[in-house]
Amino acid sequence: MSEPSIFFFEVNERQGVFHRRAFLLGGFTGLGLLALGGRLAQLQLVEAQRYQKLSAGNQFNYRLVPPPRGLILDRNGVSLASNRPNFRLMINKDKDLDAEAVLTDLAKLAPIDEARRNRVLKELARAPRKAPVVVMEDLSWEEFSRINIRAPELPNVTADMGEVRVYPFGGAFAHVIGYVAKVSDRDLKAAEGDTTQDQELLHHPGFRIGKQGVEKAFDKDLRGRAGATKTEVDAQGRVVRLDPAGDIPPTPGKEIRLTLDADIQNRALEVMGDESGAIVVMDIRTGDLLCMASAPSFDANRFVKGLSGAEYKALAEYERKPLLDKSLTGTFPPGSTFKPTVGLAALTAGIDPEIRINCPGSWYYGGRVWRCWEKGGHGPQNMHDAIKNSCDVYFYQTSLKVGPDAIANAARAMGFGQLFDIGIPGQKKGNVPDRAWKKRAFKKNPANQVWFPGETPSYGIGQGALTVNALQLAVMTARLANGKKALNPRLIKSVGGVEQPSGAAVPDLPFSQEHLEYVRGGMAAVANDVRGTAYRQSQLGLGDVQMAGKTGTAQVRSYDGVANRKGTGTIWRLKDHNLFVAFAPYDDPRYAVAVIIEHGGMGGATAGAPRAREVMRVALLKDPEIRARIERPAPLPEAAPEDIMEGAAPEDPVEGAAPPAPDVAPIPPTTTPQGGPQ
Amino acid sequence: MTLSGGLTRPGERDRPVIKFMEVDWTFCLVLALIAGTGGLMLFSIAGASWEPWADRHLLRFGVYFIIMIALAMCDLRWWFNAAYPIYVVGVLLLIAVDLVGDISLGAQRWLQVGPLRFQPSEVMKIGLVLALARFYHGLSADRARMSWWLLIPAAMIGVPFLLVAKQPDLGTAILLGATGGAIMVLAGLSWRIIAAMGALAAVAVPPFIMFGLHDYQRNRILTFMNPEKDPSGDGYHILQSKIALGSGGLLGKGFGLGSQSQLNFLPEKQTDFIFATLAEEFGFVGCFGVLFLYGAVIFMALRIASISHSHFGRLSAAGVTATFSLYVLINGAMVMGLAPVVGVPMPMLSYGGTVMLTVMVGFGLVQSVRVHRYTEVTSGKGSLV
Repeated sequence: MSEPSIFFFEVNERQGVFHRRAFLLGGFTGLGLLALGGRLAQLQLVEAQRYQKLSAGNQFNYRLVPPPRGLILDRNGVSLASNRPNFRLMINKDKDLDAEAVLTDLAKLAPIDEARRNRVLKELARAPRKAPVVVMEDLSWEEFSRINIRAPELPNVTADMGEVRVYPFGGAFAHVIGYVAKVSDRDLKAAEGDTTQDQELLHHPGFRIGKQGVEKAFDKDLRGRAGATKTEVDAQGRVVRLDPAGDIPPTPGKEIRLTLDADIQNRALEVMGDESGAIVVMDIRTGDLLCMASAPSFDANRFVKGLSGAEYKALAEYERKPLLDKSLTGTFPPGSTFKPTVGLAALTAGIDPEIRINCPGSWYYGGRVWRCWEKGGHGPQNMHDAIKNSCDVYFYQTSLKVGPDAIANAARAMGFGQLFDIGIPGQKKGNVPDRAWKKRAFKKNPANQVWFPGETPSYGIGQGALTVNALQLAVMTARLANGKKALNPRLIKSVGGVEQPSGAAVPDLPFSQEHLEYVRGGMAAVANDVRGTAYRQSQLGLGDVQMAGKTGTAQVRSYDGVANRKGTGTIWRLKDHNLFVAFAPYDDPRYAVAVIIEHGGMGGATAGAPRAREVMRVALLKDPEIRARIERPAPLPEAAPEDIMEGAAPEDPVEGAAPPAPDVAPIPPTTTPQGGPQ
Repeated sequence: MTLSGGLTRPGERDRPVIKFMEVDWTFCLVLALIAGTGGLMLFSIAGASWEPWADRHLLRFGVYFIIMIALAMCDLRWWFNAAYPIYVVGVLLLIAVDLVGDISLGAQRWLQVGPLRFQPSEVMKIGLVLALARFYHGLSADRARMSWWLLIPAAMIGVPFLLVAKQPDLGTAILLGATGGAIMVLAGLSWRIIAAMGALAAVAVPPFIMFGLHDYQRNRILTFMNPEKDPSGDGYHILQSKIALGSGGLLGKGFGLGSQSQLNFLPEKQTDFIFATLAEEFGFVGCFGVLFLYGAVIFMALRIASISHSHFGRLSAAGVTATFSLYVLINGAMVMGLAPVVGVPMPMLSYGGTVMLTVMVGFGLVQSVRVHRYTEVTSGKGSLV
């Protein structure tokens, strides 16, 4: 061995230094480990609960399950608005979502065209984070399963089954029921901060909000309460496991039953054809509205999907205004259908109905000629004849005797000029003019504030400043026919099984029975006297069940100097409105009907009465008692006289209602009315 | 004892059987426990499956364990003679990787030699320890404390440090620098120089962070300062790791029930963040147990270093221990949100062959130091080199 390069004491010194330093570094390492242990204790023992909460928040997700929307049924339980399954495709917006790529992938599985692609991209750009955006609705089962099988490769895509609103009768109930549509930004703003509404539900892409009619008025009842499914998700948001034990089931919305009858309503829309107008049918005993149709209509199902701009424009710009509910929001002068009301006012004022007024076809008053619709004149008329013939001259003169305020009082008592609480918005109350109204209406023009005598004759034949809607006409007819009660209409039969107050619990009419009977007699003559204005058009063909009615024509313009009033060759919007009101059976009134044909031409009989008759036939045939009466074999000539007596019995309302005829009970009420004897 | 009596005879300690008996088997048992825990965790996060990690992790440990024992048998003088060659080869490989290496994850770290694909920086971790120990073996205490001679070890550390940092692999570079620094301190570096270097680092590091780093590196550090700033972006790793740790609580969620790792909320769950998985499923008790095992390894390795009769043995064993300790402390601090995210795994626990091989080769050296603790090591030529 060579000489050692390092001497012993040095070796010793190096060893000593190493030992000291190693001890030191070992100590530092130990301290480091202790610090780690301390940190562990802080995280795992002190703050454990906080992190456990965060961890659970990562692990579990509650997915909102929208509740099934409540059904809307007619009075017999026929579904007017229900829900059908809908396969939806959605993309969840996520921080690392490559929307372009995902859509390109999806296009291989489902038909996604360029326009849809651009719309989805735009919506995704706008949507808040984690919010799902609907790519397609109503996927076919094949497309749905194709996408679901590939779900693991498409992390941000969900294909699920939701529900979509469906209106089985399309347009027939579109105005009454309305429709549902996507929740708009304005809806969201309106609902903001409202604790009675589930904000999360409002933001759910499958949720629809009621936009019109019953769907809007009872939206909160129909909505129900959202449920949730508890799912375990991974970091990419994919569902790993469902946890059915943690699910909260949704509460379906309340079922709403209307007083409408699907058969009557459908027939009403059918008979309207291309015409524009409204038909309202009311049950005279209860005030239930059996039909409230407005034509032309639109398919509410189109609104659920979302209307294209062109479609909406076409609907909005059509001159017959399909979007307008003409039974409630359309107000028209009632024309001659107002004459029974004027007659009641006259009778109440003490005028003797038997005094005859001569009608030579026109009458000179106040410096001008007042024409009767019958150029040749009706001759001497009492009130009965005047109603039957709809004689204008009689009512010009009678109204002058009564004065505007008395007419207005009678009109209000019959339901004109007021709004009825039928549960849905959008009624226009029209106008019942009187002296007080003139003062209010012409505040800025004192010269016009007085009632001019020349206004009264127009008022007497239902023209001038008087306007009414179809519902009011039906109410008027029902009150007149009922003869006792100031009946109110009812549209909502029950909400969630809770029966709504009936329209029959109301005070009596301020008219004497005798007077009402007299006016009803005039109306019966309109339909049943061979010379009545609507005789031919009012024959029901239902045995001894007869209809009573009143025709009406409302002028749209002045005819002074213009001869052609029949309307042939006149453009549509300048034609007269055509009205008809009726009730049946005359001897035991059950149903009242009011028909308004907008610009239907002159004479309520031409357009209004045949339609009223058809709708009335369906209503009558659906009534088991009436049907029994019709189907009873006609008395043979050699039949015993008791049979005739029995057949006449229902003419007395009291007796007819109490003991039912022996063959009423066996007749099942399920007979189809629409195919009844023609 | 008969055996220890027999060991006093000359040449007796060179017999393979005796050498084998002299290996610290307690130490080996602790290593196996840690690796076994790692296998268990990898089994759990694969969804109770040996595939794809647990089986390979345990197999690797088995193979590397045999390599470790084989290296423990190697005479310390062989290590001593191999020190400089290994270091030089390491530097050459680092230069080679800079020229022809594979680019992976934006950094040039890998070198392909035939079927082998490895990181030269790992060779350097052993090579640097060996070279420094060899150098200090021949340096007197005075010179080791403060002298111009110290420029040589400084250069020996500096060259690989810069080469690795250039890749860029800042984590490994810091590990190399810190290990080298630890050996210099252990060898008796003057406190004045230590203090001066510390002060220099304190002044130089902040500007370095702002201007000398790549964007992703700087972001990691800034994120660490304020992890809640962007919980779904850069702060995601730290936040999710803390959630996994904290939600484990005292006893953990149970084996296979860690939602953070099972549902992929925890990133890099099988490698850098495996400690968080452990913490989530076995809680404070499990973590404390594993930290205790790491402490035991470090303690035993340091003890082996201090009983060695040769300065080379002391410094090389302590150097390996320092590397290992740094791995544990840096990874632990990172997982617990005490340090920025750097790609340093938890040795023996994390999945990944390279680091485990480095550590096991290092422990082979430590065991060799123990087996040959009485061996006299001389350069045979002179004071230097």
